[in-house]
Amino acid sequence: MENSFDNDNTQHKNRKGIKFKQWVFIGPHFIFFVVFILFPMIYGFYASFTKWNLIGSPSWVGLENYEAILMDPTSSFYSQFRNGLVNTLIFVAGTVPLQVIIPLVLAVMLQHKGVKGKGFFQAIFYIPGLISVTAAALVWLLIFNPRLGPVNNLLGSNVTWAVNQPYAWIIIFMMTLWGAIGGNMVIYRSAMSGISNDLYEAAEIDGATSFVKFFKITLPTIKFPLLYTIVMSTAAAFNVYAQPLMVTSGGPEQSTFVLMMYIRNLAFGQGQSVAGMAAAMSILLGIVIVIIAAFQFRLMYRSSK
Amino acid sequence: MAKSRSFRLTKWACYILLTIMAAIWLLPVIYALTTSFKSQSDVMQTGFRLLPASWIMDNYVRVLSNTSSAPIVRWFFNSLFISTTHTLLMMVFVSLAAFGYARMDFKYRDTMFFTILAISMFPAVVNIIPNYMIVHKLGWVNTPLAVIMPGLGGVGNVFLVRQFMQGLPKSYDESARMDGANDFTIYFKIILPLIKPVLIVTSIFSFTGSWNDFLWPTIVLNNVDQLTITAGLQLLQDIYGNYMVIGQLMASAFLAMIPTSLLFIFAQKYFIESLNLNTGIKG
Repeated sequence: MENSFDNDNTQHKNRKGIKFKQWVFIGPHFIFFVVFILFPMIYGFYASFTKWNLIGSPSWVGLENYEAILMDPTSSFYSQFRNGLVNTLIFVAGTVPLQVIIPLVLAVMLQHKGVKGKGFFQAIFYIPGLISVTAAALVWLLIFNPRLGPVNNLLGSNVTWAVNQPYAWIIIFMMTLWGAIGGNMVIYRSAMSGISNDLYEAAEIDGATSFVKFFKITLPTIKFPLLYTIVMSTAAAFNVYAQPLMVTSGGPEQSTFVLMMYIRNLAFGQGQSVAGMAAAMSILLGIVIVIIAAFQFRLMYRSSK
Repeated sequence: MAKSRSFRLTKWACYILLTIMAAIWLLPVIYALTTSFKSQSDVMQTGFRLLPASWIMDNYVRVLSNTSSAPIVRWFFNSLFISTTHTLLMMVFVSLAAFGYARMDFKYRDTMFFTILAISMFPAVVNIIPNYMIVHKLGWVNTPLAVIMPGLGGVGNVFLVRQFMQGLPKSYDESARMDGANDFTIYFKIILPLIKPVLIVTSIFSFTGSWNDFLWPTIVLNNVDQLTITAGLQLLQDIYGNYMVIGQLMASAFLAMIPTSLLFIFAQKYFIESLNLNTGIKG
């Protein structure tokens, strides 16, 4: 990638400032960028220091929102943020590792030269990722329906999944993985297809087992796609909203109520909007996502040296 | 011949595991599909039966003829209009901007591009609340514009198309310029035809992303008639689910799955390519 960043801009010495002609090309996108990304981001930071009802003008309150969220155990925002963040972390921990490991295993199996029907298997694992989360939730709720669902009928159990823990999390994890593994698997497969066969054969001559080959050849080669999928899957998982909303509505007893659900309810729920507070929570969530991504990069970068 | 024996052993182990996984992955869709053809009394029978006692179309007829509480046909066309318009506008904006950032010269061009790229990488959750205010001020709440427009500011697609354009030889532009072509002619006649593959890829992803978007439409659309199908399905649990009309629930879910799944079946090649583009792997 590095060559594409500066392959054609160094040799021009007399470059002029941006002109009308250039604005015609970059302008339309740039306006939308400013209106729907840059301005909202700045305004979001500003709003997090205000008391605001979403429509009227915000009034400055300094650090009050952050104090309530982070330091005041008597505040309902404190307990909401805490519970939401803990539940979001549970979701991240429960889904992200499997979103990497399962696709890796599938990709390795599909790499086996004797296996036929690779495109067919790939399609089956990939298509659920294209199904909307609401349609998927309706289907998975039937699969785990206590009386009518195939899971209880096949296992002969009578667990009421969505309203008891840990079963509520299991449905949420299951339907998330169902939609999430295909994309990562395709990425790993194409990264693996670039590995020369000679490498594996040379390793075999040296008596390397499949495990050794996987850890010494396959994994190091696909390091960057692996890092990419880990960072992207983690960031996406922190934004979880639809799955718990659809499957459990945050229950039982708010044990699956994730942070995005609190943020949405505070800003857009019934009753008076506390958008300033919600903005502060969204900034905190954004910071958590950035910190974790930076940490993952660092960890992967170190271990690769 | 020890090697070929272990080859066969691992081959069958792979087949068995892949088949089990594929069965688990397929079961929900197949069970939903067969349930959508079951009668209400058939659905309520306990015990696992995959196929209906008799295949009926009633669920689909009822779901498709609902025009008040869950107007699914209307939602379907709302989604089709929103996702298509969003995708077309996206392609125009993205190809123009990428041309500007990849093939035109101006001071601080790359600094400007990488600055907006870096800004756009900050988690989008922060933007949601102010974006509502903007959409509200523009008078777009409860109109398709509210879901079509905000996503067009994203920088990811511009990055991909810009990368692709930088791979095209500079001499194309230069010889055209010698023949008296201006930037617009070069953009339309030379670059646009050449970047078709990457445009197809990004448009497929814009379309499915827009079709499946859930949180934002539920914030800016609160009129039942205006909903997208992805947002609308949320209401179905109350409308059909609570009365256990599961056949109709599944018929609705299945209808919502059709467009993106069909798109995949016809454009599988491009889906796979797009994932490689995103990670920077050469297909």
